[in-house]
Amino acid sequence: MTADVAVKQDGLYVYCVARGKDHYPLGPIGLDGQRVYTVASGDICAVVHDRQAEAYQSEDPETVEGWVLTHQKVVAAATEAFGTVLPLAFNMIVLGDENGGGAENLMAWLEEKRDRFTRLLEKLAGKAEYGVQVFWDPEVITTALIQNDPELRRLRDEARTKPKGLAYMLQQKLAKAARAALETRANRCVENFYTRIRACVEDIRVDRLKKTDNGTQMLLNLSCLMDRSSGALGRVLDEIHKTEGVSVRFTGPWPPYNFVSPG
Amino acid sequence: MEPELPKYNRATLVDLLDRVLDKGVFLRADVVISVAGIPLIGLTLSVVLAGMETMLEYSLLSDWDQAIRASPPGQRHATPTGGRPTEPRPGKRVASAVPA
Repeated sequence: MTADVAVKQDGLYVYCVARGKDHYPLGPIGLDGQRVYTVASGDICAVVHDRQAEAYQSEDPETVEGWVLTHQKVVAAATEAFGTVLPLAFNMIVLGDENGGGAENLMAWLEEKRDRFTRLLEKLAGKAEYGVQVFWDPEVITTALIQNDPELRRLRDEARTKPKGLAYMLQQKLAKAARAALETRANRCVENFYTRIRACVEDIRVDRLKKTDNGTQMLLNLSCLMDRSSGALGRVLDEIHKTEGVSVRFTGPWPPYNFVSPG
Repeated sequence: MEPELPKYNRATLVDLLDRVLDKGVFLRADVVISVAGIPLIGLTLSVVLAGMETMLEYSLLSDWDQAIRASPPGQRHATPTGGRPTEPRPGKRVASAVPA
C-alpha cells in the first residue's frame, strides 16, 4: 500500500451474526484492543469492530495466534450476550464502496440474508458444536489382533523358535498380515464408532485426521451439533473410551462453525 | 464423559484453527476482503495445518481415510467390530493433536 493513498477507515471487521439490537457495546475486547459493538438490520445484528481496508497479516505466528484466540473470545462473549451466534471465519472485513460505507454494506447484507439467518438462529438455539476425536494405539491393537488370531499367533510363535534367516522371513510375513488385519479392524471400528455417535447427535461433520505426538493414530475427527443439555453423546463416548487401545477426546461447547454454511 | 471446555491456550489451538480459518458463515466476496487461508499465516501455522498430509505418510490406514473423505462412514455397509471391549489397560495413552 503506497503512502500517498489514504487508507479508507470505514470498514468493519465482522466476528459473528446474532439476534440482537443496534450499537450494543461489548467493550474493548477485539483484535488489538478494538472496541466491539453491533450493527443491526432489524433484529439481526453483526458483531464488529472498526477496521481500515486491510487484512490482519503477520509473519509472527504468535501474533496470528493471539488474533485468532481473541476472535474466538469475542465470539464467546457474543454468545454470552445473545445466545447461540453464527460465527464467521477469521479476517472477514466488510469494506465501504461507491454504494456506501462498511456499515451500509453490512446492513444491506444482513437484510439480504435475514430470512436465512433467522431460520439458522432458530434452528441452533440452545445447541452447540462439540468436537469428537477417537484415537487408538496401533501397538496395543496389533498385539491383541495377533494374540486372538490362530494363524497370526502361529506365525509369531514359530518366528521365535526358528534360526535367524527363517525367523526374519516369518516376521516379515507376520508384519504384513498384521498390517492387513489392523486395516480391516480400523474400518470396522470407524464404522461402529461413527454409527453410535451419529445416533445421538442432531448433525455431524467429518473432518480431516491429524497427526498425533504420542504414537497413537487418529481414527475419527468429528464435529457434532447437539443440544447443550444432552448427555447422550457423553455416555456413548464413555463406552467407546473403554474399548481396549482406544481413547476419546471430547471438546466443546464451540460456536457452530461447522453448521452455518449452506449445503 | 464431560466435554473439555475450549480454553484459550495452545492445547486447544489446533481445534480452534480448524474452525476459525475456513468455516463459519460465508461473506459475499464483493464486499469483503476474504483472507482466510494459508498464505497470510506464518509458516509455523502452515505446518500445523498440513498435519493430514504428514499423517498419511506414516499411516497404515490411508485406504480407509480416503474412503471416509469420499463418503461418510454411516452410508457404507456397517459391520460390527470383531472382538469385545475389555477393561482398559493401565496408563492408556490419550493423544492430543500436535500443537504449533
